[in-house]
Amino acid sequence: MNGFQIEERGFFKKLDWNFIIPLLLLQFIGIINLYSATHGVAEIETDRLFLSQIFWLVNGWMVFIFMTFVDYQFFLRAAYLIYALNALALIAVMFFGKVALGAQRWLDLGFFSYQPSESMKLCIIMVLAKVLSQKSYPDGMGVKDLAFPLLILIGVPFFITAEQPDLGTAMMILIIGSSILFFVRIRRSILIAMTALLVVGATGAWFFGLRDYQKHRIYTFIDPNQDPRGKGYNSIQSKIAVGSGQMLGKGFRKGTQSQLEFLPERHTDFIYSVLSEEFGFFGSFFTIATFGLLYLAMLRIAQQARDKAGALLTIGVMASLFWHMFINIGMVIGLLPIVGIPLPLLSYGGSNMLTTMAALGLVSSVSYRKYLF
Amino acid sequence: MSQYLPSNEMEAKQYHPRYRLAYLLVGFTVLVFSFRLWYLQIINGAELRQFSEQNSIKETKIPAPRGIIYDRNGEVLVENLPGFEVTLSPQYVSNLEETAEALGAALNMPASYVMQLVQKSRRVNGPFRSVRIKDNLTRDDIFNIEVLKQDYTGVDIKETVLRAYPLHENGAQFFGYVGEVSKRQLPLLNEKFSAKGIKFQQGDLIGTSGLEEGYDLELRGKDGISVAQVDAHGREAFGDPMGLLGSMGGVTQAAPGRNLILTIDKDIQEAAWQSFLEGNRIGGAIAMKTNGEILAWVSAPSFDPNEFSTGISPDLWRRLVNDPDKPLRNKPIQDHNSPGSTFKPLIALASLAENVVTPNTVVACPGALRFGSRLYHDHLKGGHGNIVITQAIERSSNVFFYKMGDRLGIDKMFHYCDGLGIGRRTGVELGGERSGLMPSAPWKKETIGEEWQLGENLSVAIGQGFVLTNPLQMAVAYNAIGNEGKIVKPFVVKRILSNDNKVLRENEPQVVRDLADPSGPYHVKKEVFKTVKEGLRLVVNGERGTARGSRLAYIEMAGKTGTSQVMSFSADQIYGSCEARPKYQRHHGWFIGYAPADNPEIAFGVLAEHACHGASGAAPVAKAMVAAYVAKYHPEWLERDLRKTKKAPGAPAAEPSSNIEGE
Repeated sequence: MNGFQIEERGFFKKLDWNFIIPLLLLQFIGIINLYSATHGVAEIETDRLFLSQIFWLVNGWMVFIFMTFVDYQFFLRAAYLIYALNALALIAVMFFGKVALGAQRWLDLGFFSYQPSESMKLCIIMVLAKVLSQKSYPDGMGVKDLAFPLLILIGVPFFITAEQPDLGTAMMILIIGSSILFFVRIRRSILIAMTALLVVGATGAWFFGLRDYQKHRIYTFIDPNQDPRGKGYNSIQSKIAVGSGQMLGKGFRKGTQSQLEFLPERHTDFIYSVLSEEFGFFGSFFTIATFGLLYLAMLRIAQQARDKAGALLTIGVMASLFWHMFINIGMVIGLLPIVGIPLPLLSYGGSNMLTTMAALGLVSSVSYRKYLF
Repeated sequence: MSQYLPSNEMEAKQYHPRYRLAYLLVGFTVLVFSFRLWYLQIINGAELRQFSEQNSIKETKIPAPRGIIYDRNGEVLVENLPGFEVTLSPQYVSNLEETAEALGAALNMPASYVMQLVQKSRRVNGPFRSVRIKDNLTRDDIFNIEVLKQDYTGVDIKETVLRAYPLHENGAQFFGYVGEVSKRQLPLLNEKFSAKGIKFQQGDLIGTSGLEEGYDLELRGKDGISVAQVDAHGREAFGDPMGLLGSMGGVTQAAPGRNLILTIDKDIQEAAWQSFLEGNRIGGAIAMKTNGEILAWVSAPSFDPNEFSTGISPDLWRRLVNDPDKPLRNKPIQDHNSPGSTFKPLIALASLAENVVTPNTVVACPGALRFGSRLYHDHLKGGHGNIVITQAIERSSNVFFYKMGDRLGIDKMFHYCDGLGIGRRTGVELGGERSGLMPSAPWKKETIGEEWQLGENLSVAIGQGFVLTNPLQMAVAYNAIGNEGKIVKPFVVKRILSNDNKVLRENEPQVVRDLADPSGPYHVKKEVFKTVKEGLRLVVNGERGTARGSRLAYIEMAGKTGTSQVMSFSADQIYGSCEARPKYQRHHGWFIGYAPADNPEIAFGVLAEHACHGASGAAPVAKAMVAAYVAKYHPEWLERDLRKTKKAPGAPAAEPSSNIEGE
């Protein structure tokens, strides 16, 4: 019932398998599914995508294990520095960044294109965990408490990313940051005031301030690469793909929607619809449930964290993974509008895989040093 | 315990009430998503399954016709013709190898070539783009494919628009041609045009030379899209079980490109080309109105741009590239040559403007001039005797201009020739214009690293040495002499019209600078222009004019012949017959000028490569262009005979007076 026991437990015993098993399961599903998405009947030479994802997966695990061994307090101590460096990289993108798909998001590092806005999410989580754990807010945070974390720590990267323009990632930065603030607790009066302001402002603008073409422009601003026809096309095709999976799906590499004429982004943003088509309700539900289990495991890790910073860190990472999944799957199954947000652990992408695994590594580090009741 | 755990362990518990909310959120989300999946996959699943198997949506590009190019009077110069192409949609093909075999057999091409096309398109455009296998189908091709379509899925015949050039070889380098966007160009083009909202695919047409390239953004329209439901084999299907297609179906029509009205006159263009053909000439020619509107633009030998529209064969392409006569080059602006004697009027202008000679100064012109240790020859062995400046132009005396060059020096020659536009781009809208070169002492010091030699003044004065120019540049300079001062900016597009023929933009003539402007840096007096013009008139109309053979009865042309040496020869070779030499050692012939001589309306520049003489090689082209111009715009003149009414006044001081300048 005390610390001596913690000392004696071995490495494998100290890992939280409730957390790692859903993670491994999701990655397994991801790899199988990506193979299908990149090896259509009509495709040649797509092994490159698949193999590079395996490469990033292996690297991701190395990062994960490294993060597990290093005490997360070390990262929290360096949080400001890491945050500042990443913010500099974000600014560098504005000047030296590679323009792709109409936005400037990538830094070309030779062997791969690095997207600083992706790792910025993690930096915000770390720096917020550090700042907010230093004080306690028994009555919730007031206006003064909120000013620094909200306007500076979240606000600066938000505006830089929105400027790129990558409104999808900017929105994620805001949502993740706000989730942590909300978790720490904000005074009810402020919450009510902010909600009211948001609702009144947005509805007022929507109904009175904006003309049709302006609303239209907002849609295209969020994702400038898709014209309305293309957007409708993707949404419809995605729904057809998901629905046509029925109970058990069409079978591995048998999805007609994904294998034939379908979305160009099926290995990234629409990866979930490939899964739903080929593995049906059974596979789709299993995946969502596994995501759910992963989140529950993370919530448990947060509850058992040895300090406030560890708890906030875990909550932040969980919020990040949760909202990504929420928006991505919500979009694929037609509950939310089309936004270019990847599905963590399943979508193809090196930057995303590395940051996700680094973030989960931090959680693992918290869990490794957890307080046992 | 406290040595292992930080002191704020209890504080972490402050958060405990907050977790309930998080658990709820996760549970709620899993629940909602599951219900939605249930709704889509179980409740609507059967219907959507059917939909996915029988129907999918296929987008087909409707290519936009490019704008039509008209001449100044509305005659069609470049247009579009309907054609047919056969395409293959790989995603609907059940067995690619078999289909490729069948297609190859039907179209008379190797099956491996079909496979190559498909793989190339996949690499570049992804797997869902239909691949053009062959265009410009013949009637037989269409019949064969129609039969084949029954047995092989994914094969389609589509209507296309073919770019057509009714003038064929005539002006091909000027109009340019269209080609398909290649794999290598694709990323570059997309980067370049992403700001303009244009996205290219491999196989899209793009203007790759001449006007087609320069005005590509105007000429290219916006491709349309037709969206249709097709079954899993690519055949059009009907029915819309869930109303999913709704507004998606249907067609966005292609918007044709903008039309161009050129300054070109088709008849003059044809006349110029015919005269190149008849004389079997190589070279370039332009004619322009004195305000800068180009009337004709010819470069020979040429090629047929229609061949490019249907995909040029590698064989023909290789032949064009390797042809020593350079048919792909736009010679009026891309060939560099020394102007030879056509440069003399420019030097005459400089000499008179700088007062190193007067219209009445008589200069002794023997057969050669010794300068330093070198003997500078005249092309006439015996020399021209004692002559004034107008006679020097008429007879093209070298020695006279050697002396002028010596008196002026390079700085002054540079000043005026640069002012006349030598060594400067004219600014015409066509791509690839070369600037030519007007040398100067600082230029030589900088690029070659040597001092200017006084002997070089003599070479420059007769248009040799470093001087390089092209027919358009020379025509602009002569035009400035003809209209007494104004350097105009030549242009070829008069109006840009929307596809329903509303005027969108009109190009106005522009004067770049006026050499006669008394407050400008040149302030050349009117009398100076008048004297040079008289000399140029005599070249064609005088008793001993070098271009007398190209005289027209009803209009007085003015101009100057010239030859440009392709290589240097020793003194005795100079007088040898040019025609006796191998073709590629023969001189180039020039003829530059304007008409009518007193009050010009049209200026021209002709370069006839390897033609030995300007008078026989180049002047007939100018004559043909001027004749076509008069026939069209001043038919009443055709009745005149100026030779009777207007006796050539000759030089003002034909008799040698006492002030003969000796050596």
